[in-house]
Amino acid sequence: MKDRTSASSKRNRAMNLVLIITSIIIFLPVIVTLLWTVTGRWPWPSLLPETYTTRTLHEMFFGSSNLWAILWDSIYIATAVAVLGTIIALLTARATEIYRIRGRRLIGYSAMLPLLVPGTVFAMGIQVILIRMGLGDTVTGVILVHLVAALPYCVTIMTDITAAVGNSLEEQAQVLGAGPAGAFMHVTLPQLLPGILSSASMAYIISYSQYFTTLLAGGGKVKTLALVMVPYIQSGDRALSSIYAVTFVGSALIVFFIFEALIHRIVGDAK
Amino acid sequence: MKKKWLALLLAVMMVLSFASCGGGAAEEATETDLASMSWDQIEEQAKGTDVAFYGWGGDENRNNWLNGTVADYLKENYDINFEYVGMDINDILSKLTSEKEAGETSGSIDMIWINGENFYTAKENGLLYGPFTDQLPNMEKYVDTEDPETLNDFCKPIDGYEAPYAKAQMVMFNDSAVTPEAPKNADEFLEYAKKYKGKVTYPALPDFTGSAFVRNLIYEKCGWEQFQDMKADKETVKAAIEPALEYLRELNPYLWNEGKTFPSDSTALDKMFQDGEVVMNMSYGPFSVASGIADGTLPETCQTFVFDNGTIGNTNYMAIAFDAPNKAGAMVAINAILSADLQLTQYSELRDLPVVDQDKLSDDEKTAFDAVDLGQGVLSQAELLAHRLPEMPADLVPVIEEIWAEEVVGK
Repeated sequence: MKDRTSASSKRNRAMNLVLIITSIIIFLPVIVTLLWTVTGRWPWPSLLPETYTTRTLHEMFFGSSNLWAILWDSIYIATAVAVLGTIIALLTARATEIYRIRGRRLIGYSAMLPLLVPGTVFAMGIQVILIRMGLGDTVTGVILVHLVAALPYCVTIMTDITAAVGNSLEEQAQVLGAGPAGAFMHVTLPQLLPGILSSASMAYIISYSQYFTTLLAGGGKVKTLALVMVPYIQSGDRALSSIYAVTFVGSALIVFFIFEALIHRIVGDAK
Repeated sequence: MKKKWLALLLAVMMVLSFASCGGGAAEEATETDLASMSWDQIEEQAKGTDVAFYGWGGDENRNNWLNGTVADYLKENYDINFEYVGMDINDILSKLTSEKEAGETSGSIDMIWINGENFYTAKENGLLYGPFTDQLPNMEKYVDTEDPETLNDFCKPIDGYEAPYAKAQMVMFNDSAVTPEAPKNADEFLEYAKKYKGKVTYPALPDFTGSAFVRNLIYEKCGWEQFQDMKADKETVKAAIEPALEYLRELNPYLWNEGKTFPSDSTALDKMFQDGEVVMNMSYGPFSVASGIADGTLPETCQTFVFDNGTIGNTNYMAIAFDAPNKAGAMVAINAILSADLQLTQYSELRDLPVVDQDKLSDDEKTAFDAVDLGQGVLSQAELLAHRLPEMPADLVPVIEEIWAEEVVGK
């Protein structure tokens, strides 16, 4: 008896240690990044920055970059990609997993194709097509291009969860008299929810962090947070890069929380 | 069934393409032959239009100057809506190439910030509009039109395809509290590297700054005159720079990591200098130390220095894209940036060397330029210009970079 408790407490201690180390690995860089947002100079071997500055905050809120418009555009584009990507992936998954259409394996493999082509090559080729279609330098064009980048992940996630959930319960509901729409909304959709959330989040973050494709498809006219941030990272301005990075991660997290709350509310109401 | 899908697909495509058309069309109608228009007509046509200026976006001061001071000036004086778009020159050129390939006649880029090799390739490939600089009144009024840097960019003829924007010059700097000495030539630089063994280096070529620094050392060892009309032939160049290669190999063992590797770019070296990992840094922005001290990223004891024989300077320029939707507006904007008014703000706000000819300025303008406080730790404009050497021909640059990689790194 005594042996067993000591063994389990030993295991607990080991688990705690892993937890602590993991937390440090995650939070230490975040803290350092936060510190850098207001750091002037931080030479080795000082433990804390030598000088502080408000230059970055000033640039962020009063500079010429127009933060709010950029944030709004980035969130709009990424949300559109998340919603469209997940809907397309959901339909694809149902077609291949439930209705078992012909050529389903081919569709499954071709959904992965965008991963095989390097992003730069894809961006340069698609730019010519977008210009010919009259979509060069437009938000619509950027959304379409991001969608191609996000779909492989969305389709994989939705295919797995659709296969796992199956349609037996949906059929059962229909047998009991529910219409096809009602059966899907009330029975299948709540079960697919975790998948829908991961697919939407994945698509969102992929779109949010696209740099080169946005640059070429949007021609610099469509300004996203990544587009403004990357030149500062490349030019080595650590304080400005950090404040953009914090804004980038922070805004994405806020949007995720809203996503989750919204989806739960919608599906909760449907129940 | 199949037909239905096809119809739906086509409908979606149509909606998407309608939604995105919008602009474009209107401007093509008014596009007349700019080259035969008078300046007044051009200004008239530019009124109320949008101008997009594309260039490197990694300098927050410059972004703010362009989107603030310059945009306000253009709005007030010419009713032009000016916008600066940050994009790397490689991406700008690849975008223009794609547009050319797609047969686009009205793109999105009006003006481009460009020079050197990029200008040479862009012009060769027909990505630029021109010649247009002859039509700009401020070109004659403020710029020395006989200056080799107005006529040639990295020794390649400009032919009116770009107008000067700002002057850059290679400078070196260190923290006088850490290392009081400031090497005056290549030999003193070697002594300096010996004294502070392992704490001196330069960015790996083909980094812009590292490449210029190596060319500067080549000038120190081999003189600069012979390169001005040299053919870009690897054997010829290698024979000419042999003494410099010898010197660079002699320098290697005293450099950071014994010259086996070099910092990947000037950004990396900037960080190493800020962190105290190296004791000397270099820049193509002659007053960057003052900006660094003002920003708080550099200590106030930093000092700028150049070699006695001079350092390489070049001019960067503004060009117009071949498919610029608003060429008239771009010409008016370029003309405005050449004015003493805006060159003065560029000098005072960004601390960039102006392109205006001091002899062409009025007394008032001259006083205003002289009154600019450049900040701490920098050399005066006169001192820099007295130590200014011309660039090498654009096509020699990649040849030297190739030879450096083969003959210097790790040797």
